[in-house]
Amino acid sequence: MPIVSLQNIRKVYDTKVAVEGLNLTIEPGTMFGLLGPNGSGKTSSIRMMIGMTVPDSGTVSLFGQPFSRTLLHRIGYLPEERGLYKKMKVLDQLIFLGQLHGLTEALARQRALAWCERLEIGETIAKKTEELSKGMQQKIQFIAALLHEPELIIMDEPFSGLDPVNAELLMDTLIQLRGEGKAILFSTHRMDQVEKLCDSIALISRGKLLLSGSMREVKSQYTRNRVRIVFSGPDSFLTHPGIAAAKNYAGIAELTVADEAAAQQVLAAALAAGAVIDRFELSEPTLEEIFIERVRASFGDAEAEAEAAYA
Amino acid sequence: MHNVWLIARREYTERIRTRAFIVATVLIPTLMGGGIFAVASLASKSKAEAHIAVLSAQPQLAADLREQLEHGRGTSMTVDLLPGNAPHAQLDRDIAAKRLDGYLTILPPVAPGARPTFDYTPRSSADIVSVGALRDALSTVLTREALAARGLSSAEVAALMAPVAVNVVAADGSRGNTTTSFYVAYVLFFLMYMVVLLYGMNVARSIIEEKTSRVFEVLLATIKPDELLAGKILGVGAVGLTQVGIWMLAAGLLAWLAGATSGVALSLTQAVFFIVYFGLGYALYSSVAAALGAMTNSEQELQQLNMFLMLPLFFCMLMLVPVVNNPNSALARIVSQIPFCAPLLMDLRISMSMPQPWEIALSIALIVVTIYAVLWVSSRIYRVGILMYGKKPNLPEILRWLKYS
Repeated sequence: MPIVSLQNIRKVYDTKVAVEGLNLTIEPGTMFGLLGPNGSGKTSSIRMMIGMTVPDSGTVSLFGQPFSRTLLHRIGYLPEERGLYKKMKVLDQLIFLGQLHGLTEALARQRALAWCERLEIGETIAKKTEELSKGMQQKIQFIAALLHEPELIIMDEPFSGLDPVNAELLMDTLIQLRGEGKAILFSTHRMDQVEKLCDSIALISRGKLLLSGSMREVKSQYTRNRVRIVFSGPDSFLTHPGIAAAKNYAGIAELTVADEAAAQQVLAAALAAGAVIDRFELSEPTLEEIFIERVRASFGDAEAEAEAAYA
Repeated sequence: MHNVWLIARREYTERIRTRAFIVATVLIPTLMGGGIFAVASLASKSKAEAHIAVLSAQPQLAADLREQLEHGRGTSMTVDLLPGNAPHAQLDRDIAAKRLDGYLTILPPVAPGARPTFDYTPRSSADIVSVGALRDALSTVLTREALAARGLSSAEVAALMAPVAVNVVAADGSRGNTTTSFYVAYVLFFLMYMVVLLYGMNVARSIIEEKTSRVFEVLLATIKPDELLAGKILGVGAVGLTQVGIWMLAAGLLAWLAGATSGVALSLTQAVFFIVYFGLGYALYSSVAAALGAMTNSEQELQQLNMFLMLPLFFCMLMLVPVVNNPNSALARIVSQIPFCAPLLMDLRISMSMPQPWEIALSIALIVVTIYAVLWVSSRIYRVGILMYGKKPNLPEILRWLKYS
């Protein structure tokens, strides 16, 4: 039973198409990365998942049931735009938000205190939100999304603006939650984080789904044609005909080759030329490269369509 | 319903704890009460207290004038009597040295039977109080002298010159006091005007605050915009009611401590109708304010739309004088039925002279219907508007929002 299932979602604001023909499923116990350039419809899609806006057509199912507001208590949401009451004390704020999610005051208080200890911000509990640093406020909001122990956790850019230590702390927390069987959806621009954390991804651009599936499936669609060589000595082998594109950063060469066989030929050529190889690595394109390539292509298509329409 | 309660309670407890609330609750009545008290005590003490000299060749006239100026109504001057030919140079020096506030020279009449001429030299040419007191005293003294000259006894003269009292008797036979009931009506009118405007704006501001701080995003992930709106209006309204309640209690306590000697009495009817109309007026104006708040992104933008709240209130203000002068005129009866004016003007009419019961019932019904209609529109604007950031919507866009559900 998928936790979230969007089927053929379409949403139009006035004249702008925000989302079109979107299909998505998120399984329990997965970390799902929602990727896309700015303005691609990520936030619109998330808002429709939690009923903030209603799709013009298509269906939203949560926890195997058609969308209904009573299911919202099982979802924790961290919006992209952070929002807390500035003048309110941290503990009061967390209790209030916990109560809105259906907790009793005592339970909300107990969990808020436990979470603040866990995320190392116990000393802030009696302070007003406006007195805290941005990173701390983000942790508070992170806690607010988790107080009611939701089965689905939706986080819009959860790590932006955090220092590496705190980003790591929140990442570890999310990984623990996944281990407890919760489904986590997050959107981000940081592809390295996605590669490290996510089991599945969906890439959307201009409101359309470009790519989706488990990380392994996505990567396996691409041949291993990226070569990274750390070497010293002559670089004449870089003109080998099997190389489609090459960048040489003073002893570190990044190549794109036709296929795996070509990579081996390049290695042989390098050795034959007398270069000393410190490292040789053959891999699929990184998610970032896939992202850029697919998004560029989608923009190109759209422009081509627009030109066709004018012609 | 639970969510509405949570939102309202948060709004209420957070607001009531703010310094602004405490300051306004304590300071406004203190300032207003202090101001009224100060004006009243000044008015009662504002007797002419100048120290003047009177130069006269007629000792009897001068002595009568002195008596009148030192012990008459509203004056307690100090008067020195000097012969008519006393040198002015010395007096001018006294004035310059501030030992004297002025001197009056009485020149005997040029023809028999004519009035004497009075020349007054004040230290400050703006001293209208002394001049007024002199004019009144002289006129009294001259009249009294003329009556005495026609053979009336001093007792007869005193009886003739005594002030006239007018008793105000209400239709039900009770003794009323037009001044105080006028003031009570007036104070209630401005109290409601102020509180409705203040707390209506507070609703709009609170919406903008949540919008700029983006708290909405979190709240809307669990509750419906309508619940948020309802909770907000109830919470802020309860704060307003608390404040007015504290003020009224304090005023009541003060009146009780003062032994109710002031004669200012707020009847139970007035209090009940005030609360009813305050609640309705507040609900109406805050619903409008909620729509304004949802449409705008900042306080500055809100200021530009303020007039939608101010205009009807301003119109009520314009209607204040005609309604006070004639609470049962056709004009008063019509404007007090306009839903946006009824809370203020119908309540004013009730405190001044009770209108027909059907008029009250009709006005309440009209307000309730209008509140319903405004809320219908506002909640739609609110639902769409709170998720719109950045650009200020234009009218066609807002009209389109109404079609979204």
